[in-house]
Amino acid sequence: MTDAPMSWAEQPSTARFRKGVSDAAPALGLSAAVIVFWELVIRLFGVPSFVLPAPTAVVASLAANWRALAVAAEATAIEVLFGFVLSGIVGIAVAIVIVRFERFGRAVYPLIVLFQNVPKVALAPIFILWFGYDLAPKILLIVVIAFFPVAIDMLAGLQSVDPSFVSLMRSVGASRGKIMLRVRIPHSLPHLMAGLKVAITFSVIGAIVGEFAGANQGLGYVIQFASTQLDTPLIFAALIVVSVLGLAFYYVVEFAERWLVPWAPKFDPVQAAG
Amino acid sequence: MNARVMNVKVAGTAGSDSRPAAPVDPAPPHIAARGVAVDFRIEERRQRVLNDINLIVPKGSFVSLIGPSGCGKSTLLKVMAGLIAPSEGDMRVAGLSPQEAVKARLIGLVFQEATLLPWKNALENAAFLLMTADETIKRREAFERAAAMLRLVGLDDADKKMPSQLSGGMRQRVAIARALALNPEVLLMDEPFGALDAITREEMSECLLDIWERTGKTVVLVTHSIDEAVFLSREVHVMGTGPARIIETLPISLPHPRTEDSYADPAFAAAENRLRGLLIESHRRRRP
Ligand SMILES: Nc1ncnc2c1ncn2[C@@H]1O[C@H](COP(=O)(O)OP(=O)(O)OP(=O)(O)O)[C@@H](O)[C@H]1O
Ligand SMILES: [Mg+2]
Repeated sequence: MTDAPMSWAEQPSTARFRKGVSDAAPALGLSAAVIVFWELVIRLFGVPSFVLPAPTAVVASLAANWRALAVAAEATAIEVLFGFVLSGIVGIAVAIVIVRFERFGRAVYPLIVLFQNVPKVALAPIFILWFGYDLAPKILLIVVIAFFPVAIDMLAGLQSVDPSFVSLMRSVGASRGKIMLRVRIPHSLPHLMAGLKVAITFSVIGAIVGEFAGANQGLGYVIQFASTQLDTPLIFAALIVVSVLGLAFYYVVEFAERWLVPWAPKFDPVQAAG
Repeated sequence: MNARVMNVKVAGTAGSDSRPAAPVDPAPPHIAARGVAVDFRIEERRQRVLNDINLIVPKGSFVSLIGPSGCGKSTLLKVMAGLIAPSEGDMRVAGLSPQEAVKARLIGLVFQEATLLPWKNALENAAFLLMTADETIKRREAFERAAAMLRLVGLDDADKKMPSQLSGGMRQRVAIARALALNPEVLLMDEPFGALDAITREEMSECLLDIWERTGKTVVLVTHSIDEAVFLSREVHVMGTGPARIIETLPISLPHPRTEDSYADPAFAAAENRLRGLLIESHRRRRP
């Protein structure tokens, strides 16, 4: 792997770090400005804390409840982890089956798209009804929400293989299964990683929604409990923890992408837009 | 058996319309098409793309297919490679059906785009089809053969380079090495140098000629370049459209071994002019 064409990896780490800081600086600056403005508005107009807490109040709540929030975060993280992994497996399997068994795929594909239009959030109470308050209904909810982007992106990857490649494989007598394994699946990895990045954010949403519908632990439960107590600062504190958790998961997936598919084209959102 | 009968027939026709004994090819036919037709179904309509193709490629010969764009050259090559089954007629490769020839690993393919796997380096790419074709081959042996082929195509120290680090010409060399690593009897090439600049193209032509002279493989080359066809081939089959058939088979009497000096040979210019004339004719006939 020493010769991998990774412009990212070829940069020395200090340069990478400096670039990271300078990339993040505008976003951090803007956030700081918003927070200061927010604090000022709350103090100037005397907005009550249960309507909208000041940033300082949120931080105070975060400090006071950090142990409970950590326990809740762990419960949510476990749901996200299991749900996400299962979403990945289901999404990949669906895509491979659709491509490999064409006829079956043609029958199944419209049904999957149709199912995608069912508001998945509305399924949460049903899953609670069927599977109780444990891990299972949350994982199931995450899977029905998050497998779709994985399946769609993987499908696009499997189908975007250059037909010349398929011809080459067939010209040496390779079976469809072998073409799938050796060419289509590796070729679709960059697409798959894009789908997984969407899926991981959907997984966090799925976990929180599942906890709203019925749970006795997790960050979604904390948010709901806090709202019955009109403890708005705690709601915001929990939201911050959810965001950090989501961000951490997202970067784990992105790191995995760099490691698994170093040949994938790099995406720079700003350059792409400009 | 069939192929032999046909050889007599077609060789007779080819000989009769030019000088009688010019391309003396005592070699047995290696690729033989008899009355090959291909229909494509496009939105419920059948469209005939190839019609009554009769063609003989002697063993160890180098032939080119040339003709207007869309006339069906690639389709004919795909029939030879067993990728498309003919709707009518019979295609034989080394006396076998193309499917059997594929199973016997007689066929090597090269396309216009190198189509290398971006996650494998040059050496792995060159070994890839060989390892797919032969599950029992040792990794080491496959790599050794691939490395030898990379040297043969003039890529001596690019083994570890990834496709994204190679130029178009180098990528195409890897694609040729990949086909050669299979040690096929027949090399089918579809505009292999079509995406390269003029000078790289000439370099690659010379490289290919050198390989052909050294390995004695049967080569079928699809090209749009008249120069390339004349410089490389023993015979050029000119195809016409509507639906495609072979309108003329032109033997190239340019002496072997061919070098850069061959371009200056009067025979070169003569063949080139004749070919240009045939192509213009074929383009004119395309209109109605
Ligand atoms: N899979 C297919 N289905 C339907 N029609 C096809 C298919 N492949 C090729 N054709 C048609 O067959 C004709 C011949 O195509 P082919 O690719 O063999 O031409 P060609 O001589 O190789 O052209 P070029 O020089 O541009 O490469 C074209 O009219 C094309 O539209
Ligand atoms: Mg073509």
